Amino acid sequence: MSPERWQQVSRIFKSAISLDGEARAAYVQDQCGADESLRSEVEKLLASHQRASAENFIGGRAADDGAVLIVDEVAEYKPRFDKNRQLGSYLILDQLGAGGMGEVYLAKDSRLERTVALKVLSPDISEDKRRMQRFRQEAKVASSLNQPNIVTIFEFGEVEGLTFLATEFIDGETLRNHLHGHRLDVSETLDIAIQVLAALEAAHEARIVHRDIKPENVMIRHRDRLVKVLDFGLAKVTEKRSRAFMEHELDTEAATEFKTTPGVLMGTINYMSPEQARALAVDERTDIWSLGVMLYEMVTGALPFGGPTTSHILVQIIEHEPQPLPKGTDAPAELQRVIRKAMAKSPDERYQSAKEMAVDLKNLRKQLDHGPVLATDDTDHTDRASEKKRVLFVALVAMLVATIGIFAVSIWRSSRARSSVAVPAAAPVVAGPERTLTYWITVQKFREGKYKDPYGVAGEINFEAGDRVRVNVRTPEAGHLYIFSEGPREGNVVPEFNVLFPSPTANKGSSLLSADQQIQIPETTWWQFDTQEGVERLWLVFGEDAVPELENVKAFANKQTGGLIADMTQNKLVHDFLTSQSAVKPAVEKGETLTTLKAPGKLLVYAVRLEHH
Amino acid sequence: MYPLVYDELHRLARRYMSRERKGHTLQTTALINEAYVRLVDQRNVHWANRSHFFAISAQIMRRILIDHARRHAYAKRGGGAQQVSLEEAATVASARGSEMLRLDEALKMLAEMDPRRSQVVELRYFGGLNNEEIAGVLNVSENTVTRDWNIARAWLYQQLSESAAN
Repeated sequence: MSPERWQQVSRIFKSAISLDGEARAAYVQDQCGADESLRSEVEKLLASHQRASAENFIGGRAADDGAVLIVDEVAEYKPRFDKNRQLGSYLILDQLGAGGMGEVYLAKDSRLERTVALKVLSPDISEDKRRMQRFRQEAKVASSLNQPNIVTIFEFGEVEGLTFLATEFIDGETLRNHLHGHRLDVSETLDIAIQVLAALEAAHEARIVHRDIKPENVMIRHRDRLVKVLDFGLAKVTEKRSRAFMEHELDTEAATEFKTTPGVLMGTINYMSPEQARALAVDERTDIWSLGVMLYEMVTGALPFGGPTTSHILVQIIEHEPQPLPKGTDAPAELQRVIRKAMAKSPDERYQSAKEMAVDLKNLRKQLDHGPVLATDDTDHTDRASEKKRVLFVALVAMLVATIGIFAVSIWRSSRARSSVAVPAAAPVVAGPERTLTYWITVQKFREGKYKDPYGVAGEINFEAGDRVRVNVRTPEAGHLYIFSEGPREGNVVPEFNVLFPSPTANKGSSLLSADQQIQIPETTWWQFDTQEGVERLWLVFGEDAVPELENVKAFANKQTGGLIADMTQNKLVHDFLTSQSAVKPAVEKGETLTTLKAPGKLLVYAVRLEHH
Repeated sequence: MYPLVYDELHRLARRYMSRERKGHTLQTTALINEAYVRLVDQRNVHWANRSHFFAISAQIMRRILIDHARRHAYAKRGGGAQQVSLEEAATVASARGSEMLRLDEALKMLAEMDPRRSQVVELRYFGGLNNEEIAGVLNVSENTVTRDWNIARAWLYQQLSESAAN
């Protein structure tokens, strides 16, 4: 069809579609006149329209419709090497499995006549020189580990341009396979966990962090149920190249892994510690976390965190507490406590070593075997007693804080009420608390293709696309500071909020500032206006105490997301909190470039309007 | 107000990926991950604005699906030389694969006659945007998007029915 003809057809179609039955037929007849072929084109299109809507043609999303294409590719996967293929001095006997890093074969080493597991790395990993360098180093150290629960590495080398790793062959099954979506009984769970801890202890002593403890990497030998941990030192190979691009790497890995082994995709993320999920530096305690997740899974048969997408799971790992163990679980309270401690969000609150955790689990095993045992181990005994005291103490403090909190809120409420009702004379004047905050905004305008020199503004100016801003805040007194940006409002939709402060990089991630501290957000770069117009707001919140509602969303304030609160529920909570608190406006004193805000009470909330038209 | 270029890209990508999606299969997630990876890999692209971003992400998703569909078609035909037998073609995946390829062809034809309407389909079907978002990207009213979608979909449906019949 020529574009002109198409124009004609679509013009008639557009109007005809809003008409029914006879009116439609009459309209089409009238518009097409004697042009029979035009009329037939239009009628055909109208009929197609009806059928397309009835069948919901392309009514979903392509990603869902096309998903089936990937499923089949997985089924069509073929190993790279066939049986009886000679690869250097190794003879391939069988394929054992495949994963993101490559393929694993059962092979015979003709030199020593021993059976090995031969891991052949995929070409894209072998080609990455920097990764390989690190891989070599790690493999060297890992091969020196000599502990019965760690799979022994025999050789690391290259053949036919491919990098391979020969390790001890374990005739057994992976813990993943063994679990198979079911839970294990407590004594088996303890046996496995204690052996994994023994492996971790040896590795950690040699300064090797596994980084990828998960059921796929734990083997149980058929012969004697001996547990063996696989892939020490290998995780680093697939680890993110640079922290800034962590998410990208993570997803690359997941996506590659998926192609060969369905079901592994989510597995790689599920055992990640919060610090891994946030792309922070990790140490031995990340393995403690992952083992905690594995324990949880062994005891319940389910994972502590779930969600439809990678991002959902990451957010949960970073900020949600794991789902409580289901009621039917026969896990003793002590085991639940161990899991909670292993999965503390902050590494400092976890077990500090594999040994420490093993002590607790071994004691539990003794208790279960022989009934309650008193003070089987001195360290453990004191540990437990101090733990109890600590719990009691925390509970008391919490009660105290809660009481003070209620008291404080009522003072604060009454002071707020006074400020909005204009009869202050008769009311008894209590010298209540007051919050003061100073801010200024630095602007760099973008005009005629160039950035002008930055300057400070106190007033609210009109921005254009491309303009950049920074916000500077000074705190005359100590307190908790939170800064959010609010995107343009559209109708009744809750606008998007971004956490600008606290951020992991500024002020060590804490919201608490001391008196006379000054911060600049963003620290090194700028915020830039895009082409979407509207009124945006910069929310400044300064409280004497930390604001729990806002502390919750701190996890979102990382570089990759630019601070966007991706979780809609959290976003709404922030919105509701800010709008509910902004009823009382602080007093505003505008200087030439500085603005000083003063609010009664213990909390100051102020929105700076940034007009963008 | 958004953080500068790369940050913004990540932010948008994150939002694009984390949008509420029910009945998400592992395979869908894998596809979306693949798109996300390619998306943040566009280091050399100058990102003009978010509209540009959404347009590119829809294109990427389309390309990925077509690649998968094509690979599939070739695999089934043993390198493209053999005739597809009825039994082989009967699997859901290959039917879906060829549907995707035919849709892609039809969409290309539509783009020649009417670039905007073809883009509406790309943004909605491949990019997963809603009409309101598409209106923002293309800088037209939502009503226009609805009308464009109706006519473009009807035309594509017709093309696909005809090519299936042949």
